[in-house]
Amino acid sequence: MSKINPAFNKELEKFGSVNYNACYNCGNCTAVCSLSTEDDSFPREMVRLSVLGLEDDIRSSLKPWECYYCGECSTHCPQEANPGELMMSLRRYLTAHYDWTGLSGLMYKSLTLSIIAFVATFAAVIAFAVSVGFELEKMLHFGHMFEGIAIGTIGFTILLPNIARMWYYTILKPKTKVTFMKYVKSIGELFIHMFTQKRALGCDDNQFRWFEHFILVIGYLSLLFTTVVLNWFGTSSLFVIVLGYIMSAIVFVVTIDFVKGRMKAKKEVSKHSQPSDIFFVVWLFLMGLTAFMVRLFIDLDILESNKWLYIFHLTVLVQWALIIVPFGKWTHFLYRSFAMYFAKLKAD
Amino acid sequence: MEKKPKRIGVYVCHCGGNISDYVDVEKVRRSVEGEDAEIVVLAKTTMFACSDANQREMVEDIKANNLDSVIVSSCSPKLHMLTFRNVSVRADLNKFTYVHANIREQASWAHSDDKNGATEKAIHLVKAAIAKARYAEPLETNKIRAVKTVAVIGAGVAGMKAAISLAQKNTDVILIEKEPFVGGRVAQWDSLSTTTETGKEMVKRLYNELLKYDNITIMTNSEVIENKGSVGNISLKIKKTPRFINATACHPDDLKRAIEVCPVEVPDDFNFRLNSRKAIYKNYPSEYPQIPVIDVKNCTRCGECEKVCKAIDFNEKEEIFEIVAGSVLMATGFDSYTPAYGEFGYATSENVITLPQFKRLIDTQFDKLIYKGKEIKTIAYIYCVGSRQTDGENTYCSRNCCTSTIHAALTAKNKFKNITNYHFNRGLRTYGKQEILYADSLRSGDIYFQSYEDGLPKVSVEGAKTIVKVNDVLTNNREIEVEADLVVLVTGMVPRSDNSIGTLFKLPKGRDKFYNEVHMKLRPVETVIDGITIAGACQGPKNITESVNSALSAATKSYTILSRGELETDPLVATIDPEKCSWCGACEEACPFDAILKVENGKKVIAEINNTVCKGCGMCAPVCDPDAVNLIACSSREIMSMIDALV
Repeated sequence: MSKINPAFNKELEKFGSVNYNACYNCGNCTAVCSLSTEDDSFPREMVRLSVLGLEDDIRSSLKPWECYYCGECSTHCPQEANPGELMMSLRRYLTAHYDWTGLSGLMYKSLTLSIIAFVATFAAVIAFAVSVGFELEKMLHFGHMFEGIAIGTIGFTILLPNIARMWYYTILKPKTKVTFMKYVKSIGELFIHMFTQKRALGCDDNQFRWFEHFILVIGYLSLLFTTVVLNWFGTSSLFVIVLGYIMSAIVFVVTIDFVKGRMKAKKEVSKHSQPSDIFFVVWLFLMGLTAFMVRLFIDLDILESNKWLYIFHLTVLVQWALIIVPFGKWTHFLYRSFAMYFAKLKAD
Repeated sequence: MEKKPKRIGVYVCHCGGNISDYVDVEKVRRSVEGEDAEIVVLAKTTMFACSDANQREMVEDIKANNLDSVIVSSCSPKLHMLTFRNVSVRADLNKFTYVHANIREQASWAHSDDKNGATEKAIHLVKAAIAKARYAEPLETNKIRAVKTVAVIGAGVAGMKAAISLAQKNTDVILIEKEPFVGGRVAQWDSLSTTTETGKEMVKRLYNELLKYDNITIMTNSEVIENKGSVGNISLKIKKTPRFINATACHPDDLKRAIEVCPVEVPDDFNFRLNSRKAIYKNYPSEYPQIPVIDVKNCTRCGECEKVCKAIDFNEKEEIFEIVAGSVLMATGFDSYTPAYGEFGYATSENVITLPQFKRLIDTQFDKLIYKGKEIKTIAYIYCVGSRQTDGENTYCSRNCCTSTIHAALTAKNKFKNITNYHFNRGLRTYGKQEILYADSLRSGDIYFQSYEDGLPKVSVEGAKTIVKVNDVLTNNREIEVEADLVVLVTGMVPRSDNSIGTLFKLPKGRDKFYNEVHMKLRPVETVIDGITIAGACQGPKNITESVNSALSAATKSYTILSRGELETDPLVATIDPEKCSWCGACEEACPFDAILKVENGKKVIAEINNTVCKGCGMCAPVCDPDAVNLIACSSREIMSMIDALV
């Protein structure tokens, strides 16, 4: 017995859904989807659950994460019900739902709140700079320290509990029986999908986008490693310096293409971009670019006279680490790969 | 004196190979040429008898050999009898001298496993045709004068449109409406889909147009009670019930007061019994004709209205009119299906109503949708109630209800605040442009559930709540439960429960019990009763557009019958030998077309055939004990000689 909730579509609209009510259940979307299978079919099923507002079913479903938004479904939808964007908004909805702090939901739903958060973090950085008298040495030292602390704190207090919540809603609550050995045996799935996004290759004509994404993930993770662990801004090792240059360049060069795509909004995936999507690519681009510039200025020895650049970089970094990573689109990186891991646990 | 022997020509057709692959056509030809040599002066085989070349050759043969009659042995007479009758006419023969033999459907195709047998049978069939041709007489068609008046029965949207269309063709029209007001069902609807005009406005427009034509006579409160005669000359007796209100002495304010003081309350059929009305009433202010009516069946003659209004006149008497029309156009409309007691909670649950009731409800409410004192927010519509029944009699789809429901649901949503609509359907049929309405409804957030005949929704009452449950096909057959303030049963169209008019005109009905056309595709508005056409929903479920289409088509067809002022009918009818007949009535009983009249011919009572009504079906011939009935072109002499040839 299921009780339906027609008011759910108003809620989902706040997460960016567009016109999915128009669906007349022809199933073309599911038929053209290259990732959908007979046993594990979507997106029509998710559209239907959303129309009826069956939230328990939506929360226990991994299907929104199994979609990589090639947009074929939306292109072929005779009702212009945008099933692709529905899947995207369900991912936002689920992200908000997994997040125990509730901040994800608030920021997805309110652009104003997001902007306030960005302004507040900027003010905090300025306040900090003032408090250390704009001393570059202190700022650089703090910046490096912040990276480590932020990763640890965010990881343990926000991301890990949220993953646990995702596990609770998708595995535990629906009473899926999984042996311990299965958890161990299937763990490979998690890392394969986390680092390669292998499943996205299943989408039609997606090789280039997949490759770009793959390079970006590798570049981003390496840049993270180079700056946090190898202390790129403080090192004198030529190898580390060059590695940092390459990785940061990869990040901002590749992101240009993603930013351009969002701006042109020609492909289905970017037609209905939400602020969270724009922030994500723009801040990633700024991260790469400012990091590159900071190290360049250090090597040219002109950072001392251009402290504003570092303050700018630090602002981007803080906003990235405190807003986008825990409460924004970055979490896709985790939820998608965990979803593939959990799907493997649920299978057979 | 014995007539000189007829000169007959026989053609045996190969039909490509359709006949000649199994029937030895050459053998057939030889056999008839040999045995009936004295009258068969020409016998030929031909590849395709129906080809242009062969037709020309036939005309030449007939003229050169001075033939009296030709026979073509080929396919079914349904296919080419007319073709060869016309060939005869082109060769200056009377078309009824032509005789057809079917050796394809009846020989080659039927006996493809037995070539010798097929050939043998073909020979017999052709010989029978020769036997018939021996006696075939030239015949002339009957001509009758047609009265240039059409009686249109039913002044709904179809009847009114048909009347206007006929009047424009300079035909006199008598528009007969049983109810006291015109407009039929359409007058009951306010908003209509795909137009901003309301049903009432549409009726007003049509009524005003009717008044423009001098050649239209509108008769309301009038009923046809007798029907005599046949196409071209149909006599109708019409009973007109008085309104008991003198239109000329009528002051609107007085009449309003008369309605107020009337103490009688009867269920209001116009609002599908949602409320009650008085015994003196008008259904809505701008209704036409604009004079109220006293419902005699329910009036108690208490006299209250007479006290306040001078126009009331109980002395008005019922009148009987006799009219003659050349054609009758039936536009008697439909009834809405009334659900059975307990069907989806109908009559057993107080929150269950039908779609027509719901439409009247939303039309008569403002600001808030109130039913039985309760504000309605969520509405569940259950589709196909009384239509597409697997167990019941109504197996057909009622066509208009899907669209009508969605339109009503959207109207309710736009008119009242916070309405939620749930549609429990069995597959939506919003065909054509109506699909736009469905799309609008989806986009506005209406929710659709689907199930099949084996999993119909269930309505239950739990305390003050009305619950609808269904296993939804669209959600993996999941059981879904919805709480609704109001359940609307989407009832379809059924034939009028009062079929007295159909009985009077002997109109045939289809399996759906609506009036039947001759041919669904090619003769869609004619009936087997000559001169009677059908229009609108009396023929089957139709929306307004479709009703008007059929009305215009029926008007043209009725006009076509009368336009020349003279009708030609087939001479192939029955005849009575007055010497032999002594009226036993057996033939009258056997006749399905009411073509046999009982007449006194001066000496005795005998049967007489109404040539314009007789179809020549032959039902009367075998039941006639003294053998007084003869069928023209199928006389006993012809048939007996054919039987002799066959056995």
